Amino acid sequence: MTSPHPPGPTGDLLLPAADTDAPPQAPPASLSRDAWQQLRARPVVWACLAVIALIGLTAAAPGLFTALFTDDDGRCELARSKLGPTTGHPFGYDLQGCDYLAQVVRGSRPSLLAGVAVTAGALLVSVVLGLLAGFYGGWVDSLLSRATEVAFGLPFVLGATVILVAFPRHGLGAMTLVLVALGWSTMTRVMRSQVIAVKDADYVRAARMTGARPSRLMLRHVLPNAVTPVVVVAMLNVGNVISGEATLDFLGVGLQYPAVSWGLQLNTAQSYFLDHPHLLAFPALFLSATVLSFILLGDAVRDAYDPKLR
Amino acid sequence: MGRFVVRRLLHAIPVLLATTFLIYALVFVLPGDPIQGLAGDRPVPPSVLAELHRRYHLDDPLVVQYAKYLGGLFTGDFGTTFRGQPVGDVIAQRWQVTVRLGLTAWFFEVVLGIALGVWAGLRKGRWADHLILGATTVVIAVPVYIVGYLAQLVLGVRLGWFPVSGGEAGWPAAYVLPGLVLASFGLAYVARLTRASLVENLRADYVRTADAKGLSRLRVVIGHTLRNSLIPVVTFLGVELGSLMAGAIVTEYIFNLPGIGQQVFQSIQLREGPTVVGITTALVLVFVLANLAVDLLYGLLDPRIRHD
Amino acid sequence: MHTPRHRPSPARPWSAPAVATALVLALSACGGTADGGGNSADQGPGTPGGTYTVALTEPNHLTPGQTTDSYAIQVIEGLFDTPVTLDPKDGHVLPLAAVSVESTDQRVWTVKLRPDGVFHNGEKVTAQSFADAWNAAAYGPNGWESNYYFAQIQGYADLNPGKDQQPKADKLSGLEVVDDTTLKVTLSSPFSQFPMMLAFTAFAPLPRAAFTDPKAFDAHPIGNGPFQMDGDWAHDQQIALKKAPSYAGSRKPMADGVTFKIFTSKDTAFTELQAGNVDVMTTVPAARAPEAKRSFGDRYSVRPSGTMDYLGLPLWDPRFKDPDLRRALSMAIDRPGVTRAIYNGVFQPADSIVAPMIPGHRDGACGEACTYDPAKAKALFDKAGGFSGPLELYFSNSDPTYEQWMTAVANQLKQNLGIQDVTFKKMASADLGPILNKRQGTGPYRQNWVIDYPSMQNYLDGLYNPDNRMGWSAPQFDALVARGNAAKDAADGLAAYQQAEDLALREMPLIPLWNWQDQSAWSDKVGHVLIDPYVTGLHLDQVTVRH
Repeated sequence: MTSPHPPGPTGDLLLPAADTDAPPQAPPASLSRDAWQQLRARPVVWACLAVIALIGLTAAAPGLFTALFTDDDGRCELARSKLGPTTGHPFGYDLQGCDYLAQVVRGSRPSLLAGVAVTAGALLVSVVLGLLAGFYGGWVDSLLSRATEVAFGLPFVLGATVILVAFPRHGLGAMTLVLVALGWSTMTRVMRSQVIAVKDADYVRAARMTGARPSRLMLRHVLPNAVTPVVVVAMLNVGNVISGEATLDFLGVGLQYPAVSWGLQLNTAQSYFLDHPHLLAFPALFLSATVLSFILLGDAVRDAYDPKLR
Repeated sequence: MGRFVVRRLLHAIPVLLATTFLIYALVFVLPGDPIQGLAGDRPVPPSVLAELHRRYHLDDPLVVQYAKYLGGLFTGDFGTTFRGQPVGDVIAQRWQVTVRLGLTAWFFEVVLGIALGVWAGLRKGRWADHLILGATTVVIAVPVYIVGYLAQLVLGVRLGWFPVSGGEAGWPAAYVLPGLVLASFGLAYVARLTRASLVENLRADYVRTADAKGLSRLRVVIGHTLRNSLIPVVTFLGVELGSLMAGAIVTEYIFNLPGIGQQVFQSIQLREGPTVVGITTALVLVFVLANLAVDLLYGLLDPRIRHD
Repeated sequence: MHTPRHRPSPARPWSAPAVATALVLALSACGGTADGGGNSADQGPGTPGGTYTVALTEPNHLTPGQTTDSYAIQVIEGLFDTPVTLDPKDGHVLPLAAVSVESTDQRVWTVKLRPDGVFHNGEKVTAQSFADAWNAAAYGPNGWESNYYFAQIQGYADLNPGKDQQPKADKLSGLEVVDDTTLKVTLSSPFSQFPMMLAFTAFAPLPRAAFTDPKAFDAHPIGNGPFQMDGDWAHDQQIALKKAPSYAGSRKPMADGVTFKIFTSKDTAFTELQAGNVDVMTTVPAARAPEAKRSFGDRYSVRPSGTMDYLGLPLWDPRFKDPDLRRALSMAIDRPGVTRAIYNGVFQPADSIVAPMIPGHRDGACGEACTYDPAKAKALFDKAGGFSGPLELYFSNSDPTYEQWMTAVANQLKQNLGIQDVTFKKMASADLGPILNKRQGTGPYRQNWVIDYPSMQNYLDGLYNPDNRMGWSAPQFDALVARGNAAKDAADGLAAYQQAEDLALREMPLIPLWNWQDQSAWSDKVGHVLIDPYVTGLHLDQVTVRH
């Protein structure tokens, strides 16, 4: 991710709506089946799913790939430091003299975990806050809106670096929290405006008049009808999160040894890639393919759910 | 209009305060001693440590430190770095690099982004359109530092067109490559935005009417469609100007440009509170003002929107 | 537009030595030892005149006592004459502003000064100018960085009370101005290496102007050295010096002037050197070694430095109690492998606590204990009962290579000793320093030492003093160092220090890893480039300019 663009959910990464301030239209109920019909017909969707499945498999069972494609014995020997690809070691060796294929394959797990966990976390936070702000309005809304602005106004890399340097003992869990903390604002805005739009719909008014309690109104009537756009936005965001996590590793403020990640590999590669381009090429390829697949997939889902842009 | 501006500015105050306090707390409140940190493995006699702590208010409670800092801020004093240089001077100096870089990148986004978008929009469904759509998708997906290294490798080292890194060659030579890399994401986005908006507008009735009148396609686009199509683009470009200024940390890092982003990253690692908070305040301010400017511009471009 | 073909300087400009050596004293640079004290004698007598440029990182201060920053020291060396200097060939003491420094008991020292010393503003350099400068640096409330250099002078404690207490005095009782050219210095205990310390820039004299307007002085220091300021210090841009007409000392400059160009990044500076926009660079990054060799040929030199890296062990943790375990850790580390893979073969594996350029260094002093031998290491490790629980490695985030070599060490401890749970504690030096000083670490840590003066005593006392970070205590060791400090005869002193070194190596609370090397390169415009590894760095006065 470029530094000035927070990998927070921009919602409309590839084909943005003309007017982001207008509340998205509530999708009709039959849309999800409709959308699936449409998604199924697109080859790009299948290609992305294939890439994601493959990367997912490397994350779940890295040993399988190491056994199949390399003669790796699991040892790192400095004497083999930075050697290029050879038979038995198709990706060559890294700075520490470890088999690079084994390392790159092992690097997929933190990326995928972060992508999924951060998206889920940010989705949860933004649905709750957006629901509260949109439904109650008033001071709750004002307070939450200011908080959103704070989170939104803080440049992503800057904010994350300050937090992560302040707490040096962080693992993937803490990284996830930081990425959620910096990534919930836009999704909350989407949720809030959607809730405001739905809140005044006839069926909600009708329910209100029958004397339904606010909590029931929120959960039974508003939430189901307001949540779809924010879920779509969240899907679009998975690729961004993976990219953002890798950026922090790359800058040396994210994960650290013994964790293995593509960002860390790229961090090491930066000093050596002119003389040893394979150090840059393999993690860059895997990272880019993963991010690209998630973004294209999210884009396709968005297209399918947003008939306006079809 | 005036009331709108005032209201927006008033809204910005709590945001600024909260942001700076958050950063201040994170930098200052945690254990660790920046003075000892500067000394590395050297001994620092307790008497000297005590004096330097007093000088930089490091012994005061967090809120007192922050209040003193804010007090200074109102008199234009951004504090002092641990090397004794006023943070204001540091920001002023580094800012030049970042502004140059940001404007260069912004220029690329405006010119190349819109040009590519218009081209793709007019050629919708043909190979140029597919090419641009495909290329911009890839650029959006590939992390900026990989784009940066590839650019350094190909344009800097192999072809030798630009200095690979550093700001010494001055503008424009030293800024073209980092500018392009910094712009890559936004450029791709602007191109797609322009294309999408143009395609939508070309379907509008007035375009069909103009077509029917026999006006040339180009005149239709320039005379009628472009202005309307550019409204969302302008919005994005405005926000983008703020974002580009707001610390191109990664780009300055890989191209070794001594700008604000590089400074703030370095200062965070050194726990140099006054510098970090000073720069962050300046950045958030720029960001808020850019957003305000966009909202105002939006009103001017689209007469349907009125601020009261 | 020039289009240099070079490695795109990926190293972060700020991360590296700028931070790591913020308070470094001896400026890197060349070893008199390895390639014969400079590499310039080949060019015959140069012609005087002309000016040249030197790449520099922004210093923190230019008032001598205010700084221990290696970049500041390089500039101050041109502006000031310290009482003595060190021979670039072997580091022995040579007179400079002083005529002699003598003592009969290693405790009371008499410094006789040259009678013709004069500051650039015409003020005479007297014993009082030295006393004023030293008192200011030693006075705690001034917060001057070089304060601890004066700790051995009698009365230091009165100027540096504990926290929240008022100092009892503002002048060192151990300093006595006998007359204009005689300064008597009384130390709190015998210290044979004292004359060597006087080569450090904090011991330079200060004129009265330094105290009337300290801020202005820091931007435009007035010294007693071969060069004077040519305009004020332009922060982050340059510091220009010109030949001082009033100078009567022994370092008459060849060139008319020298300009320090300030760079934020060493990689950028190196690029400018390649492009011919800078004449001398004494801090070429290790990563650029192959390229520097190619581009500069015999105008490139690698010289030993006094700087060493160690792995410190927290002895208060019972898991590190057994010296056999500590030796096992040491022998499981492949030093040559790390220096080759990560430092391009520029750094040298260490086989002693002190760097090879230090008088008294013995090749192989550490012997088998510093030699990579996985099998023996494992045997020792098992004999010591192995290691339980997680092994946490502490280091700062100041330079990316720290993490790289720590990774190598972690891999080797895992593979060679079977310690499975190895994790990193990488943090800002602001956090790491206090943790180590308060002995709160729970595992091995990166310890770096940059020499203050080229003496074994500096390593032994600096790293193993009774307050050491390892929590190692050995009265016998302290006694040996004290014996060396009190020795009248230099050879007796060295013998005592060497015995102390042997003891420390046997016990191995601190594992020597490697010795830094400094790379310099210069343009064909300059000649007689003499760079020494002690305090002077680049000998600014000797450089000649082709013109």
